[in-house]
Amino acid sequence: MSRSISVSGVTLDIEERGAGRPLLFLHAGEGLQPRHPSLDHLAARFRVIAPHHPGFGESTLPDWFGTVDDIAYLYLDLARTLDLQDAVLVGTDFGGWVAAEMAVRNMQRFTHLVLAAPLGIKLGGVTDRDIADMHAIPRAEFMRLAWADPRRGEIDYTALPESELAAIVRGREALALFGWKPYMHNPRLKRWLHRIDLPTLLLWGEHDRIVTPTYGEGWCAAIPGARMELIRDAGHFPHWEQPDAFAERVAGFVGQH
Amino acid sequence: MRSWYFSEMAYHPAWQEGLKRGSLRVILPNENLDPAEAHKLLHRYLDEFALCDEVGLDIMVNEHHSTATCMTVSVPMALAVIARETKRARLLTLGNPIANRPDPVRVAEEMAWLDVLSGGRLEMGLVKGAPYEIAPANSNPARLMRRYWEAHDLILKAMSTTDGPFNWEGEYFHYRNVNVWPRPIQQPTPPVWMTGMSVDSGRLAAERGHVIGTLLSGGTAKPMYDMYRQTARERGWEAGPDRMAYAAVVGVGHTRDEGLRRADQIADYVRTAPVVAEQFTNPPGYNSVAANVAILKAGPRAHRIVKDRQGNMIDHRKASVQQFMDTDTVFAGTPDDVFDQIRDFNVRMGGVGHLLFFGQGGYLSHQDATQNITLFGREVAPRLREMN
Repeated sequence: MSRSISVSGVTLDIEERGAGRPLLFLHAGEGLQPRHPSLDHLAARFRVIAPHHPGFGESTLPDWFGTVDDIAYLYLDLARTLDLQDAVLVGTDFGGWVAAEMAVRNMQRFTHLVLAAPLGIKLGGVTDRDIADMHAIPRAEFMRLAWADPRRGEIDYTALPESELAAIVRGREALALFGWKPYMHNPRLKRWLHRIDLPTLLLWGEHDRIVTPTYGEGWCAAIPGARMELIRDAGHFPHWEQPDAFAERVAGFVGQH
Repeated sequence: MRSWYFSEMAYHPAWQEGLKRGSLRVILPNENLDPAEAHKLLHRYLDEFALCDEVGLDIMVNEHHSTATCMTVSVPMALAVIARETKRARLLTLGNPIANRPDPVRVAEEMAWLDVLSGGRLEMGLVKGAPYEIAPANSNPARLMRRYWEAHDLILKAMSTTDGPFNWEGEYFHYRNVNVWPRPIQQPTPPVWMTGMSVDSGRLAAERGHVIGTLLSGGTAKPMYDMYRQTARERGWEAGPDRMAYAAVVGVGHTRDEGLRRADQIADYVRTAPVVAEQFTNPPGYNSVAANVAILKAGPRAHRIVKDRQGNMIDHRKASVQQFMDTDTVFAGTPDDVFDQIRDFNVRMGGVGHLLFFGQGGYLSHQDATQNITLFGREVAPRLREMN
């Protein structure tokens, strides 16, 4: 079910499905894609709350809004507005960056953090590319780096209605706004990851070449007590390529800790 | 109609390699440029600019980055040389890509300095910049025009304020003591130009009274000019031809064949300019949502296509000189031919006061370039000046 909710001056378009323990799902830079079965796999185990980020889907992007900090504070406000208790915070790709920015600020309403192939930190030297430059390679090359099997991710844009195309276009622009420079990371974030004081799982697709599992190990080392798990036959979007295994890993982690 | 000679100072020796790799811009490594050859070419091109002053033409320069199509990397640097070598020509920057410039006050200083150096001959274009300029500058394409307008407002204020310093605490730019020395001769500022291709651009330029220029866009220019005129009327003034500019390739010869041959060589500029690796042609946010929806709906394609006067689609990368003439991208032939073509174009557009004359495409020899400039300056430009 989708609805819109007004939080801190932003009208958020939210998908909600499932029952039980609340799970706030923060989507990738490619968008939420609510018709993909991945949310249903999570909803079989949790009460999933998945906002479209400001500028994505039908969520608004006010003129004053423009940084990942803004999104982090907005979602902390959303968690308060929805009165989430003992919730699980899951973020993938760009959404993982947002989740980490929330986590270094305030995790009162959350018990577990799951970051799936998050962007957001810089590990290497000035000429090392920790995060593949998605905007400097052809789309086909991006698909090859991002998917274990790129055919699973292909979208026939010519078959989509104009309203969905417009949402995709607005989302791409919003992603650029938030992540163009510095490219898809906050140079200061790594220094504050030690503040994350709740059980944290890093999930990585074995074949991810947007941010490699080695980059994931850097995240793992920076968050106290974090552990990392690989998902087979998946690239940068394990929640889309292996939705059942993804949901299973999240549920397993929450059950054990 | 005034005529402005324009050349991008191409490094054409690398074009074959760039075409082979599918991109003359951004990703073509500079090992494909021989600095000694570039030295010779720059001096040759600057000589061609200097000649314009002798034959009564005005001068325009622009800049691009990381490309074999254009070695002018800095509008103020090129104009600083040209200002010293010329006496009469007005000097147009079209332009300063101010949405990609981190320091607008520096732009204001450079433009004021040029105005002083040239004795008040500067005309100042403030442009958005082409989509493939985003990558070399690494400027954020999202909200690009918001940054453009803030830079625009700051530059004009910096150039026209005489009792500074003033402070500026905006969304993108922050200064606490703006006080530009020297200040420009032309007060409050040198004439301001913009570029565009859409009716929106026509409206935005008219709201400020700036000159609007468009590049090689044939029939699509008309609605933009019309919107400019309409907006001006709504705001209580009449926009004359001096507010409208149009850029085209011009090839003039003693015979029609000679003029067409020169135009054909200069048109290589138009053929090579769109050869860019696809990922740099449409950064997110650069184009409107509606334009991007149309691109996604159309499926993989996206090359510069314009329509000729009969509505046929012309691909700029492969067009013949005749096809370019049919899209008003090229005017060519004898001086009489060229004058007639421009006169007819002027009537179709409802009055265009400035012709921006592409006169160098790379392969055109120095001898051909100087003859082209001389013939145009002596035989065509005086008749255009009488027009309108």
